[in-house]
Amino acid sequence: MATAQQIRKGYLDYVLTNNEKPKSVYVFAKKLKITEADFYQFFSSFESIEKTIWFELTFETINKIKAQEIWLQYTAREKMLSFFYSYLENLKNERSFVIYSLKHHRGKFSTPEVLAGVKPIFENFAQEIIEEGLESGELAERRFLSKRYKDALWIQFAFILNFWIDDDSEGFEKSDEAIEKGINVTFDLFQHSPIDNLLEYGKFLSRNGKFAEKMRF
Amino acid sequence: MKTQKTIPTTKVERSAKFVKTGIQIGGNYIKHYSKKLFNPNLDREQLNEDNATDIYQSLSELKGSALKIAQMLSMDKNILPKSYVDKFSQSQYNAPPLSGPLIVRTFTKNFGKTPENIFDSFSLNSSNAASIGQVHQATLNGKKLAIKIQYPGVGDSISSDLKLVKPFAFRLLGMSERELNIYIKEVEERLLEETDYELEVRRSIQFSNACKNLDHVVFPRYYPELSGKRIITMDWIDGLHLKEFLQTNPSTELRNKIGQALWDFYNFQQHELRAVHADPHPGNFMITPDENLGVIDFGCIKEMPDDFYSPFFSLISTDVINDKNKTVEAFRKLDMIHEDDSAEQVEFYYKSYREMISLFAKPYTSKSFDFSKPDFFEQLYTYGEKISRMPEFKQARGVKHFIYVNRTNFGLYQILHELKATVKTDTFKPHV
Repeated sequence: MATAQQIRKGYLDYVLTNNEKPKSVYVFAKKLKITEADFYQFFSSFESIEKTIWFELTFETINKIKAQEIWLQYTAREKMLSFFYSYLENLKNERSFVIYSLKHHRGKFSTPEVLAGVKPIFENFAQEIIEEGLESGELAERRFLSKRYKDALWIQFAFILNFWIDDDSEGFEKSDEAIEKGINVTFDLFQHSPIDNLLEYGKFLSRNGKFAEKMRF
Repeated sequence: MKTQKTIPTTKVERSAKFVKTGIQIGGNYIKHYSKKLFNPNLDREQLNEDNATDIYQSLSELKGSALKIAQMLSMDKNILPKSYVDKFSQSQYNAPPLSGPLIVRTFTKNFGKTPENIFDSFSLNSSNAASIGQVHQATLNGKKLAIKIQYPGVGDSISSDLKLVKPFAFRLLGMSERELNIYIKEVEERLLEETDYELEVRRSIQFSNACKNLDHVVFPRYYPELSGKRIITMDWIDGLHLKEFLQTNPSTELRNKIGQALWDFYNFQQHELRAVHADPHPGNFMITPDENLGVIDFGCIKEMPDDFYSPFFSLISTDVINDKNKTVEAFRKLDMIHEDDSAEQVEFYYKSYREMISLFAKPYTSKSFDFSKPDFFEQLYTYGEKISRMPEFKQARGVKHFIYVNRTNFGLYQILHELKATVKTDTFKPHV
C-alpha cells in the first residue's frame, strides 16, 4: 500500500529526472508499482501533488517564523521581510522542484495554477500583518486603497519568486537585496507620506474653491 | 526606518554631499525615463553622462583636508582614484540600515543559527556604521563584542559604479584610458579586497599579532569561528573617536602619546612589515579610557613590493636626494621620469618631484617633528595648488603604489596635525 509521501517522492524524482511530468497516471503508477486507485486515493492529478508541495512549503514557513522569539517585537514591515527571507531559505531545499514547477506553469498574467493553494494562505497572512500595522499606526489607513495592500504584497511575492529562480549570485545574495529593497519600498508606500497630505490639501481646496476663484492674480 | 539613532556628526556632514549626488542621480533617472516616454529610441548614453558628471562634480567639491593633501601629491591624475576611494568609503554611510530580519538571515546563512542562539545578547539596532556595513553590540560569556555585518551586494555595486564612471572620468580629466587604467585598477582591487571579510579577519589577526609589542597601541581580539563572509566578530573597544577625544581638551602630554602611538603603528608596518593599514581614516581609531590607541579596522592593506619600497624610501631617508644623478635614477625606477623624456623634461620633473619628496620627507629629517605647526601644511597646500595648474602633470606619471602610500602617509600627517602632536620620528626608520 502506497503512502502520500511515497507518491510525492516518486513524482518529484520523475519530474526532476525527466524535466516533464509523466505521460499519464497509468504510466506513473506502473512505474511506482502501485495501482491507479492508490494514486487517486491521495491526489486527483499531478498538479495537485505540486500544489500540495507548494502549500506545505509556505505553511511551514509561516509557522516557523511565527514561532521565533523575536516575532512579537517585529514591526509589520519586519514581519514581512522575515517571511520572505525564511521562505527563500525554505525553498532552497527544494530549489530544483521550485524551478521546474514555476517554469512549467508560468502563467502569462495570472497566478500559475500550482500556486492556487499558496495565494489564499499568503494573503491571509499578509492581511493579518497589514491589520496589525494599521492598528499600530505604522501603516496609513486609506479608503479603498488599504484593502488592496495585500495585492501589492502578492505582486512582490510573485516578483521575488521569479527573481530567485533566475538568481545565479553567490548565496542568492541578489535575492536578499531584492527582498530588502522591494519590501521596504512597498511598505514605504503603505506608510503616511507626503502624498496623503497632498490629497488632503487637494480635497480642502476643492471644497473651498470659491476662495481660489476670488484670488485673481 | 529608524534604527540608527546616533550617527557621528562628521559622518553626516561628509556624507551630505553624497546625499545630494544621490538626489541628482535619482533626478537624472527620472529625467531619462520621462524623456523615454516620448522618445523610446533614447539610449542610456545621456543618462550615464549626466550621472558621471554629477558624481564627479560632487567628488571634486569635496574638500576634506586629507583628501586635499593626497590630491595634490598624487597630482591631477590621481585626484580621480583618490576621489573614488573617498567616495566609496564615505558614500556607504548613506546605505539604509539593514532590517532586523536580514541580519537574522545573514547569521543563519553563515552559521545556521540565529544571533540569539549564538550570543548571550545581541542588539538588533546597529550602534554604528562601518564603511561597508554596520556594527552591532553583543555579549558572550560576559564579554562585550562588536559584530560587523556587511551590506549585501556591496562588491557588486562597487564594480558597477566604477564601470559607470570610468569612461566619463577619462574625458573629464582629459586623459587617455590606457594611462589611467593602472591606477583605477589598483583602486578597484583594494576596494574589492575590503569587501572580503574572511580576508579581513585573517589580516587583522596577522597584523595585530605583528604589532602587539608596540607601546600604547591595542587591538581587539578577533573570533574567526564567529566570523564569515559577511560577518566579523571582535572584542568591543570602549573609547572615544578622535573628534570626541579632542573635544575633551586632552593635555599636550596625552596628545603626544597618542600621536606617537599612531606614528609608531604606521612606521613599524611600513618599514618592518612592508605592508600597511592604508586607511588612516579617523573613524578607524579609538582612544581608550586607559589612554591607548585602539585600531579597529584592517579592511584596507597596501603591500609595498621591494621595487617600490627601496627607491622611494632611499629618497627619503638617505642622502640620495642630494645627488642629482642618483635622484634621477630613483625617479626613473618609480616611473616619475620616463624613458623617452627629453633633457628639459627630465630637468623639469626632477625639480618638481624633488620639491615634493623633500616636503614629504620633512618629518623624517629631524629626530622629532611638531605636526601642530601650520606652515608645513601650508607648504603642502601651496605646492599642490601650483602643481594642479601645470599642464605637465596632466599625464600619468609615477607607479601605481603611490596612490595608497600617499594616502596613508598624508592621512597620517593630517591626523597628527589635528592631534597637534609632536612625535619622535626616528623610532622606526626605513631600511634601505
